[in-house]
Amino acid sequence: MDAKILIFILNGLTQAAILFVLGSGLTLAFGLMRVVNMAHGAFYLLGGYIGYSVVKATGNWPLAVIAGGLSIALLGFIFERFMLVRVRGGDLPETLLTVAISMIIADLAVVFWPPQPITLNVPASLNFPVQVLGITYPSFRFILMGISVLIAVSLYLILYKTKLGAAVRAGVDDRETVSALGVNIQVIYTVVFVLAALLAGFAGVLGGSYLQLSPGSDTTILTYSLVVIILGGMGSLLGTVVSSLILGQILSFGLAYAPQYSYFLIFIPMAIVLALRPQGLFGKQI
Amino acid sequence: MQNKNLPRILLLVAIAVLLVLLPLYAGQYTITTFIRILYFGFLALSIGFLIGQGGMVSFTQTAFFGFTGYVIGLLGLERGLAFPLPELLGLAGVLLTALLLGMVAVRAYKIVFLMITLAFGQIFWAFAQQNTSLLHGWAGIRGIRPPVLLGIDFYNTANFYWGALVLFVLGLYLLWRITKSPFGLVLNGTRESPRRMAALGYPVYWIRVVAFLISAFYAGLGGILAAYNTGIITPTTIQLSRTIWVLLMVILGGASYFWGPVVGTIVVVWLDVLVSGITGRFNTIIGIIFVITVLFSPNGLLGLLDDIRRGEKFPKIRKFLFPKAASGE
Repeated sequence: MDAKILIFILNGLTQAAILFVLGSGLTLAFGLMRVVNMAHGAFYLLGGYIGYSVVKATGNWPLAVIAGGLSIALLGFIFERFMLVRVRGGDLPETLLTVAISMIIADLAVVFWPPQPITLNVPASLNFPVQVLGITYPSFRFILMGISVLIAVSLYLILYKTKLGAAVRAGVDDRETVSALGVNIQVIYTVVFVLAALLAGFAGVLGGSYLQLSPGSDTTILTYSLVVIILGGMGSLLGTVVSSLILGQILSFGLAYAPQYSYFLIFIPMAIVLALRPQGLFGKQI
Repeated sequence: MQNKNLPRILLLVAIAVLLVLLPLYAGQYTITTFIRILYFGFLALSIGFLIGQGGMVSFTQTAFFGFTGYVIGLLGLERGLAFPLPELLGLAGVLLTALLLGMVAVRAYKIVFLMITLAFGQIFWAFAQQNTSLLHGWAGIRGIRPPVLLGIDFYNTANFYWGALVLFVLGLYLLWRITKSPFGLVLNGTRESPRRMAALGYPVYWIRVVAFLISAFYAGLGGILAAYNTGIITPTTIQLSRTIWVLLMVILGGASYFWGPVVGTIVVVWLDVLVSGITGRFNTIIGIIFVITVLFSPNGLLGLLDDIRRGEKFPKIRKFLFPKAASGE
């Protein structure tokens, strides 16, 4: 295979890794709670910025990932427990609240972090050239892919092998019945929302180490995540995997061959799927 | 009855006179701000109509607002086509695009509809921002000028204000008639219970498509005024934060009220003027107001007025502070 093509494919896989971490949390929260967290992009941005500060202060990249993820998880917990819960059941108020929060976060981030685009510094011990199939590729990108696979496997195990996961899956299908069976659905809601926030925070640090973070990237990222879950089917983990892989390749090849339209191109599979199969590739009818 | 309505009528007449005579006593800056209220008012009406009458929260309408602006810039300014042609082609383009997108989007309801329309809106933004050959990317198109019509030069701010005011009043009247027409009632029905309306034999799908078209038309009209008034059209005009801004106007005024979007636009545009002078953190303040509105007064300012008129003293705030007492637990 042409070396150039191989690099594009690997770039696409790196992009897919970030898209998956972004989309998986959002799709789970939507499947269960029927809430689209419009602050998902802002959570990503803030997580990335926090990771940036941690790397700058300590030089410890794994610590940055954990710090970015946990601080956003905490933010998600506070937001869910103290605000979202008060408008539970009205899906418009819930969505509007998340819109408002995203505005505030994105606006305040400019005060604490530089307005120009930044990228996290990855230490050389994690980022060295690797020889694969006759080309040289940065090891760090394989680490990103590895983390994404790890998260996918963990999510699968949580969803399909634990009691909590069973309750979440049951809740996706029928909230009322699960609640009537004695499961405290409110607790499940909080857990899933916090999990989604944690993943957004992770994604911010991972994405911020590969792409750039800047004021305004929150809306781009929100759009990416929405396209991922609309294409894959809302509430479906497998759908998120498949759509991330498709969109990752489109972004990578689009950037190489049609830079004027690279961002535009990712909407094409979404438009086709919406016209032919509105519930998405692996989604259930809702 | 006569006496009861008299103060109200006098008040309305006074407001109308003040608005019409505005250029005679107000400064240039105030007139320009009122022009902004008028074109954002069109966009707010567009989004508010879909939410209030049809129960559809659309994030695509701002793209239609920018669409007519780009068409005027491309055909009117760059190709030199004379007035009404670029404007009419722009509106026709908006209707055609809205038909295509609406036919896909209205199959979804509530949050899914919101997500799909958001993605649609972002398609336009992505295209406008990345395409340099036709739309000039971030630079956009500059130097758009309103036409001279019947000997009146609309480049003059006062003339433009009067023209926009006439158009806005006509638009309001037409939308009022649509809202109160049988179509409006049927649309309300699809908002409340699409399944029941379908069972009654109404073509729910097409009713929603037509509502989407009406809304897109209003957004397109506002976009024409905006492009004339600002003279430029760039991707910033259609970016997501703009949509959110207008959505706040609608929610703050009261989405379920006909006058809600108008009230919201007036408040938010003036707030923008006042706050921008004091701090650069305008979006934070807007966001906080948004949170307060959603938590305490989901029906907006007009809803709050209604509550006060009915003698309920801020039930939402009391419910927020003492949730258990309010729900009787």
